[in-house]
Amino acid sequence: MLSRRAALVFGIADLLTAAVVGTGVFAALPGRWWPVDSAAAVLTALEVAAGVGLVARTTWGERAARAASAAALALGLFTVTVLAVTASWLSGVYGPVGAGGAIILTLVAVMTLPYLVVLPVVQLVWLRPPPRTDG
Amino acid sequence: MTARGVVRLLVAWALATATACVVVHRAFALDLDEAHPREVIASVWREGHVVARAVVARVGEHAPSLDAAAGSSGATLVYESVVAEGPVLVWPEAALSLSFVPGQDGLSATFAGRTTYVTPDDLLAMQAYDHGITFPSMQMATGLDLPLALAAVTEALGVSARDLLQHGVLRRIRVARTVAGARPARVVTADNLTESDVRGAAVAMGRYLARGVDDEGRFRYLVNAPKNQTLPGYDWPRHAGATYFVAQIAGLTGDPDVGFAALRAGALLRDRALLRCGDRRCIGELDSEIADVGSTALAVLAFVELARTHLDEGYALVVPELTAFLRAQQRPDGELMHLYDRRARRPVDIQLLYYSGEAAFALSRAHALLGDARDLDAATRALAHLVGPAWSFFGSRYYWGEEHWTCQAMDDLWDRAPASTRETALEFCLGWQAYGRKLMYGPTDTPFDADGAYGVGPIVTPHLTPAGSRAEAGLATLEAATRAGHPAEELAVLDHQMRRSLAMLLRHQLSARPYLFVDPATIDGAMPGSEVDWQLRIDYSQHTGSALVRWLGLDAAARER
Repeated sequence: MLSRRAALVFGIADLLTAAVVGTGVFAALPGRWWPVDSAAAVLTALEVAAGVGLVARTTWGERAARAASAAALALGLFTVTVLAVTASWLSGVYGPVGAGGAIILTLVAVMTLPYLVVLPVVQLVWLRPPPRTDG
Repeated sequence: MTARGVVRLLVAWALATATACVVVHRAFALDLDEAHPREVIASVWREGHVVARAVVARVGEHAPSLDAAAGSSGATLVYESVVAEGPVLVWPEAALSLSFVPGQDGLSATFAGRTTYVTPDDLLAMQAYDHGITFPSMQMATGLDLPLALAAVTEALGVSARDLLQHGVLRRIRVARTVAGARPARVVTADNLTESDVRGAAVAMGRYLARGVDDEGRFRYLVNAPKNQTLPGYDWPRHAGATYFVAQIAGLTGDPDVGFAALRAGALLRDRALLRCGDRRCIGELDSEIADVGSTALAVLAFVELARTHLDEGYALVVPELTAFLRAQQRPDGELMHLYDRRARRPVDIQLLYYSGEAAFALSRAHALLGDARDLDAATRALAHLVGPAWSFFGSRYYWGEEHWTCQAMDDLWDRAPASTRETALEFCLGWQAYGRKLMYGPTDTPFDADGAYGVGPIVTPHLTPAGSRAEAGLATLEAATRAGHPAEELAVLDHQMRRSLAMLLRHQLSARPYLFVDPATIDGAMPGSEVDWQLRIDYSQHTGSALVRWLGLDAAARER
């Protein structure tokens, strides 16, 4: 069972992730595209559920948090891969992309990694089920 | 999941992603081989159109169809050697649109064993680059205009675009261009820029604008250069700015044709746009209830220049009526209220981009001509506000607006403003230029000829006007810093920054490759929107041209620094 303090920290972090993903996709992006919108909607819902479940210390909170973390990690790794491969494609087509391109991609990666890679990894390890002891 | 399991997953993912990146980069990068071109596309151009084309083995090879067309009057034979080719993604559409480097890549299309080419020259003549994907909120466009480019291919192959995309093969081609009979052109750089280069370019820009002034005094505001087609749209601020610059060139050259053009443009402004704003006079649209400070300020600049250069000293009589309006729009803190409600007869206290800087510069120029102390006081207070309270917030050293008028006002007021104001303003302008230096593209930052340009990303062709307007301000800053006795090393850095921008602008001035234009003489000397966007708006030539005039105004030692 997760400690009270850990549940509160992870719960708030999940709610913050939900806010960042929801605001980033539905308020900041200038256009709508169903693959991104639906993935963001599902992830936002999962993160809200995990956050509420952990903060309220419900019985399903930890399971919801594990599911949200797995989904966030899968989405985060996929996003970073797509960004990296796109950058490779652009540099293949355009040749030099210089400092400007590197800064833009680094910024995007830095904004994505904490919420969609680092936090889910920490949470998945922390919330892993205890080893079975039934022999 | 155990910690070890997570680490294994992440390592596997990192390796897979790195491998995918290498494979994708190799698949799409071009391997240039200029010594052994794959094919040579020979085209005969006349008045902006291809009149004959053949694929030959090498540059200089003859083909009967080419020889007949190339012998006709006004024809130019151009060889585009395919020095590299590579695959493109045909889905999604945005990827296909972004698969061609503007100005450098064309496409080849093969369908049922037949191949046709749309070369970079074709795409430039049809203005297909940077018209594919538009971002209206950012006023930005990028990528190839696919309907236009594919129409050229499907017409040549006699197939539909859908069949071509489903069953044909599209590839991008990189070409090296050779114009038959042409001598290699000198490439202007920051290091070899001369007074003659700059003077010639400035005069050509002025003459281009002057040629477009009709009998009524109206400029050709927006022109599609390849087709020599006037496009819709007009506004008074840009009309006034262009009049200011044409008057500058008339003063510089004494060319009567340019002078008469400036006078016609000035007369139109005075006779058609001079309105009543309460008890004062302003510039605006007759049928509009709202007048603005920007139009009036730029009109003051134009009228002062017409009078100062002695084209018509009578314009000095109109200036005080307009500066009275500008002064009446000023708040006690030095800021200006940018709009005026003509029906309610009162200022509207909102602020828009550029207007306060334009007003400060205009009031300073008016004082230099007429000596009205109220104009000097208003200009000084506006400048002090612009470089002080108007740009004072946490982070203001890391982010700047467009201050090209502000810094011209600073330089213009240098001998007349209080020492504290002018020194604060000079520090402000030097800071803005240092910020610009950080953002400025170097020679290897983009695939474009963009050393000295500013842009919004390495795959978007940089627009040229920002380099022109920032050079106006940068040269004004250089002049003021020189007078202030700043160290030679500091001046040399700013000087080199300006030379890079000016050389880049001169390289893109329209005069090369006249065969791509229906009427090259008409657009000769104009500044385009970008390296590949050959729409010509009057302010493109005005900003760059005024920057060149400023460089000519530096003392000889500064120009040869």
